[in-house]
Amino acid sequence: MKDEFEPRIIGFLCNWCSYAGADLAGTSRLQYPPSLLPIRVMCSSRVDPLFVISAFLRGADAVLIAGCHPGDCHYQEGNYYARRRFACVRKVFETLGMESDRLRLSWISASEGPRFANVITEYTEKIKKLGPNPANKKIFL
Amino acid sequence: MANILKISKNAEEGLRELLRFLLEKKRVKAVFTLRKINENSAVSYSLITDSEMLKDALPLFPLMPQNAGKLLSRLTLKEHLLEPTAAVVRPCELRAFIELVKRKQGSLDNFIFISTTCPGTYPLELSTNGDIWKKLPEYEMCVKEGDIVPDIRPVCQACEHFIPYSADMTIALIGKKDVDKSCEIFLNTEKAEKLIEGMDGELSEGELETKEIKKLHSKRQEKKKELFKEINVESLGLSGLIETFGRCIGCHGCGRVCPICYCVLCDFDSRDYECEPSTYESELKKRGGMRVPPNTVLYQLGRLTHVSVSCVGCGMCTDVCPADIPISTIFLKVGEEVQNLFNYIPGKSVEEAIPLTKYEKEEFAEVED
Amino acid sequence: MKGARVAVKDSIEKTVLNILSKAIDKKLFDVILIPIMVPAGDSYAWVLAQDKSLLDSASSLPPIMSVQGAKALSSVTRMGKTNKKIAALMRPCEIRAVIELSKLSQIELDNIFLISMDCPGVLPLKDWLKDPTKGINSFRKVIQRFVDGDPEPDQSVRPVCTICHRFYDSSAVDLHIGILGKKGEYIFFIPHTTQAETIFAELGLSFKDDISHWQNGVDEVLKQRKKKRSLVQEELKPEVIGLDKLLDTFSNCINCHICQSVCPICYCRQCYFDSDKVKQPPDDYLMRAESKGNISLPPDKILFHLGRMSHMALSCVGCGACEDACPMSIKVAQIFSLIADRSQELFNYIPGESLEEPLPLRVFEEDELHEVETP
Repeated sequence: MKDEFEPRIIGFLCNWCSYAGADLAGTSRLQYPPSLLPIRVMCSSRVDPLFVISAFLRGADAVLIAGCHPGDCHYQEGNYYARRRFACVRKVFETLGMESDRLRLSWISASEGPRFANVITEYTEKIKKLGPNPANKKIFL
Repeated sequence: MANILKISKNAEEGLRELLRFLLEKKRVKAVFTLRKINENSAVSYSLITDSEMLKDALPLFPLMPQNAGKLLSRLTLKEHLLEPTAAVVRPCELRAFIELVKRKQGSLDNFIFISTTCPGTYPLELSTNGDIWKKLPEYEMCVKEGDIVPDIRPVCQACEHFIPYSADMTIALIGKKDVDKSCEIFLNTEKAEKLIEGMDGELSEGELETKEIKKLHSKRQEKKKELFKEINVESLGLSGLIETFGRCIGCHGCGRVCPICYCVLCDFDSRDYECEPSTYESELKKRGGMRVPPNTVLYQLGRLTHVSVSCVGCGMCTDVCPADIPISTIFLKVGEEVQNLFNYIPGKSVEEAIPLTKYEKEEFAEVED
Repeated sequence: MKGARVAVKDSIEKTVLNILSKAIDKKLFDVILIPIMVPAGDSYAWVLAQDKSLLDSASSLPPIMSVQGAKALSSVTRMGKTNKKIAALMRPCEIRAVIELSKLSQIELDNIFLISMDCPGVLPLKDWLKDPTKGINSFRKVIQRFVDGDPEPDQSVRPVCTICHRFYDSSAVDLHIGILGKKGEYIFFIPHTTQAETIFAELGLSFKDDISHWQNGVDEVLKQRKKKRSLVQEELKPEVIGLDKLLDTFSNCINCHICQSVCPICYCRQCYFDSDKVKQPPDDYLMRAESKGNISLPPDKILFHLGRMSHMALSCVGCGACEDACPMSIKVAQIFSLIADRSQELFNYIPGESLEEPLPLRVFEEDELHEVETP
């Protein structure tokens, strides 16, 4: 039996919207691949770009940041800053020819259980095609 | 059209005369500039209060022992200057200082900034072996011709921001064929015009951006393309990064001399990034081997993320690297890309907030998924 | 003392590497901490190697010291004791720095097995980087000259390596590999602890051989080195004695503090000389400028160097990492090891020689050092 690659996606989910949305997906018994390792943060703006880079270098096949839709942030502006920081770190990856597709920002609200399941399903498929993160096996990091 | 004060001395002597005038007439309390500090020709930045000391001043010397922006920040970290001080700095050093001021690491109050159209600076290596003095005639010739000076820092050869954005006075150097006979000081602000009142010299008008400057700008753009081709950053990828930083010794010297890296205790030197024994064990289990001390590539990527939005491309990092890694080229490229993302020129204006500290309600839809 | 005489096959480096490889095979150690060639082939980095195949590109006696070994080991056990049995193969000065760091609570030596080898020195990093292939060849000559017993050290190594008088084993090591005495035909595995004997006996090494050839080899080189060290230090003195000379010598220093960050003994996460304590408001600097007509910036350059000296000189092992990393090519290591020698002599202290010997400033005698008191 061929060993199929199961991606490991680290997900930073904001407490008020995305984490609740993930919960809703669960209570609604929606099916999605078990690839996500969720980490609850109070707001998407809590995500330091360094978390993303560390996760990537430690071998996460992908890193997801999920927060409230712009305009709906529980703390009013957090997700706007998060979006800029994400744009910045993604640009760093892009410019260095590193697989910037392994970094994703998605807005998922508390009522969007199906959307959450979709995002994870879709992203898992995408990462399966990309393959395992080469950083996983590197020694000279 | 700007007002120009023309002094009939060579550019460096003319600038010395200006500084002497400012000190002796008590228009400023102190002058910050490069100075020869001993007979062995070591050159260092100095804060000078005695005009006698100006005879050893070398305000246009093509050496950057530390980015002056960092030094001005150190000077005004605790408090702003209480008395006027004239600071002779390069365009990138002034930009770095302004970026630091935006981060509350210094204050612009009471500074008079004197800068130049900058021909570039030599690597520190040329100063340690004394060769820099032998290079000066070639330097002057290239300045006159408006050519790229060979052997200056690679990022200097590729620098497009060689006209200072917010200096009170700018000494015109590039493309000036009479730079060995005449010192042209562009007075960019009212403050500057008041300061030179009573000084010997010819007043005239003119444009700073001459056709020689425009030509050099294109030459430098070409050079930048070449530089980026040499080290094709976009084709690096993770393997390329690992190869490039394979010989990195983790000294963090690049961060220490970087003007933008102002953190007193760098994140990567702090306890937060030290690994527990259990981490080593789990990493070893997964990888079979692990380089120690850890986090070499993380440091570089982390610093890129922290600094790129404000990187002024001064080149201090490459100069001090014990492993000769072309750090400044990588930072210049990534810096440019990140700055373009936000349409931002670091240090151009102190009023312009750092892009990551503000937002638009609708933007960057392309990064959302 | 007895040892195990081992015939050299191929090269000293490979012979030692083979034995260590077997040790991993037999699970005598879980991990080996050893320099391994980096992917680009232009340097060596310390790697915790658990997978034996990594040892294919390892070097037991690399031509350079990119990171001081004690710093590498400290990063592994600073936060706590390791549960894996780690064998660390390092140069004598790196071992000594490890012992000093252990006294300073920066390394937990439990489960760490220390191995050292007689050291011919290392090439300066910048020289090596100009042409690594040439560097490998020139270092082979350095090793050969050393094991042949040439008392004159090869001039291509770090300046402080040419005057090193501690190139042999520290008593605190677990196992030492002597390479002197037999012109590179034989090397000697010399255990310092029963644990070392037990472990390496499993590899078929019996420690019954006479090591007097090695001891003589060491003595011969040591005699010359001690003389050379005195001579070179005497020549250096006029460059640094007196404040004027000191200022001159450090006039090119740009105050980057890279010397401090590569020094194994300087373990402070935030150096005192980078802290808030040394930062003053502009008026202070202006006042200082007025008193002399000017002040160099960054300020307090000599304060940093003298301060660093007073903080670490008693534990300085003279490795030369500082001088290698200095972007202005200042003779930092030569100067610091001159001061270190004199201050260590004051307390009859040899850094890294014995774990039991406390750091001199942590103990006292009631009746001592009267010569520094002014009645």
